[in-house]
Amino acid sequence: MDKRQRVMSCLTLCAVIAIAGACNREAARGTGGGKPRVALVMKTLNNPFFIDMQRGAEQAAKDLNVDLVVQAAERETDVERQMQIVENLIQAHVGALALTPSGSREVVPVVGKANQANIPVVIVDTRLDQKAAADAGVKTASFVGSDNYKGGQIIGGYLVKVSNGKARVAVLEGIPGHETGDSRVRGFRDAIKGAPGVTIVASQPANWERDQGFNVFQNILQAHPDVDTVFACNDIMGLGAIEAIAAANKSGQIRVLGFDAIDDARKAITDGRMAATVAQYPDEMGRAAIEAAVKAMKGEPVPADIGVRIGLITKDNAARESDRK
Amino acid sequence: MRGALASGRRLGTLAGLFGLCVLLWALTPHFLTVANLLNVLEQTAINAVIAAGMTFVIVSGGIDLSVGSLVAVAGVVLAAALHRSMPIAVALAASLGVGVGFGLLNGVAITWGRLPPFIATLGMMSIARGCALLFTEGRPVSGFDPAFRSVATAKLAAIPAPVFVTVGVYLLAHFVLSATRFGRYVYSMGGNEEATRLSGVNVRLHKTLVYGVSGLASAVAAVLLTARLNSAQPIAGIMYELDAIAATVIGGTSLMGGEGGLGGTIIGALIMGVLRNGLNLLGVSSFVQQIVIGLVIVVAVLIDTMLKSRKT
Repeated sequence: MDKRQRVMSCLTLCAVIAIAGACNREAARGTGGGKPRVALVMKTLNNPFFIDMQRGAEQAAKDLNVDLVVQAAERETDVERQMQIVENLIQAHVGALALTPSGSREVVPVVGKANQANIPVVIVDTRLDQKAAADAGVKTASFVGSDNYKGGQIIGGYLVKVSNGKARVAVLEGIPGHETGDSRVRGFRDAIKGAPGVTIVASQPANWERDQGFNVFQNILQAHPDVDTVFACNDIMGLGAIEAIAAANKSGQIRVLGFDAIDDARKAITDGRMAATVAQYPDEMGRAAIEAAVKAMKGEPVPADIGVRIGLITKDNAARESDRK
Repeated sequence: MRGALASGRRLGTLAGLFGLCVLLWALTPHFLTVANLLNVLEQTAINAVIAAGMTFVIVSGGIDLSVGSLVAVAGVVLAAALHRSMPIAVALAASLGVGVGFGLLNGVAITWGRLPPFIATLGMMSIARGCALLFTEGRPVSGFDPAFRSVATAKLAAIPAPVFVTVGVYLLAHFVLSATRFGRYVYSMGGNEEATRLSGVNVRLHKTLVYGVSGLASAVAAVLLTARLNSAQPIAGIMYELDAIAATVIGGTSLMGGEGGLGGTIIGALIMGVLRNGLNLLGVSSFVQQIVIGLVIVVAVLIDTMLKSRKT
């Protein structure tokens, strides 16, 4: 009995790993040969924003003739798992690392580990907490991202304009303590400061997720039935809010503002279910990140801050191809 | 006979772990290095510690779904105490106390309240998460004294401190479960609760303590996690209960209770750690990784049930 079980366990595990290995040609090819290897570690893969980023990164890797490993935690909230992934990639001796931090402070220790292993780190999309990074003495090769604060200002300014300075706003925040969401909200608040008629009646985190965007906004609607605008710090939460609006039979009565300009949001804007969003260009981010990572790996100079363009998307330009990747 | 079966099963999982290592050694040159193996041990520590507590619960015939949330609440209490410049010992005591306290509440709800463990700890999962969020207003608490962080960052002979913590936890837990009266009661409650009660054991008390042990283990994991990330997040530990249950079950502890032990659980936790590490080293897609891990859990339990049905 023991022997049979031992054999079975072994066989099963072997089969499973072999299948996994076969699914991945890089693995089968081994890592010893030729091409330098760089890694992109993202927050999660269940957000189209990061899928677009991955696409841009893959294109850049192809153009620059490097091997690219893309990894992400299952959940955006699981920063410990992201830390593990980075540790493992350090062990795999990748040449350079591009990282979108799941926590601005929490990833600082693992960036320190990459520093010790002499692996250059390019931070993408979400900045490291300046103070935590300085305290720990960690170094990054570059930051690639768009200015989230400015994006928040753009969408806030748009709201002031289209509402003629009168709106009752609910804000759906990202995960508390995330620099990205905090900056967007700050930019938004600063932009509406000049319009006393635009007030924020509720501001609640929905943790970047669609179902939570739905639920949280549904609850806000119960408490504040007079809300006429919702600003979701990412489109995914905004799309959740759109469903909540439909469920409350208030379609068309509430202005939805998003952020990221993912495909579904563009479609919602064309259909008139969403008013506006801010385009970030995650594919350009992914591309710029890999280009910076490869440069850093080769010891070439890399700018400390690489800005990626950002812009307002409304019905006028939602479907226009020039604004798309 | 139970002993023979248990050790046989443990050999099986050990062989599985060994086979996995051999396979990864063959597939990637980066797996079998001292640095990487230490890296795996360090990464396994948190799940392993939670799973040690989970083993007590599952052997007793219960389940604890609240451990991930207990990690969060114990972590933020620890962080808040440290930020109020309390001595490290006091902060640790507060954190462990909160873990044990919430765990005992689980136990009371299950024994005196007669709630099924699934429901009681499901409720606690939400209550403890809410407490952690309320306590911190949803924001992470970060930045600690290096002296405190040494529990995660220090090394002795190149071995990271969390590994020593894990070994200590397992030695202690193994002693309690296999060599004390309490440990015997845990098995006996899981095997046949009614018979245990009839033989004069205070089942309510001992069952309540079992959930206290699980809360304690979660709090120890919270200390490791907080030190490792240099931050305590109220959203930390989401779904950690599933990893801990998986490690326990892969290690051969039966969900029906009364069987299993910590030797199996540590191997189960290592299998999960090695698997995740190996899949990262190989650069396997994150989507495929989830499928692989799911398959390993299912197959491990499948073997377990097949063995059992053949035995009877």
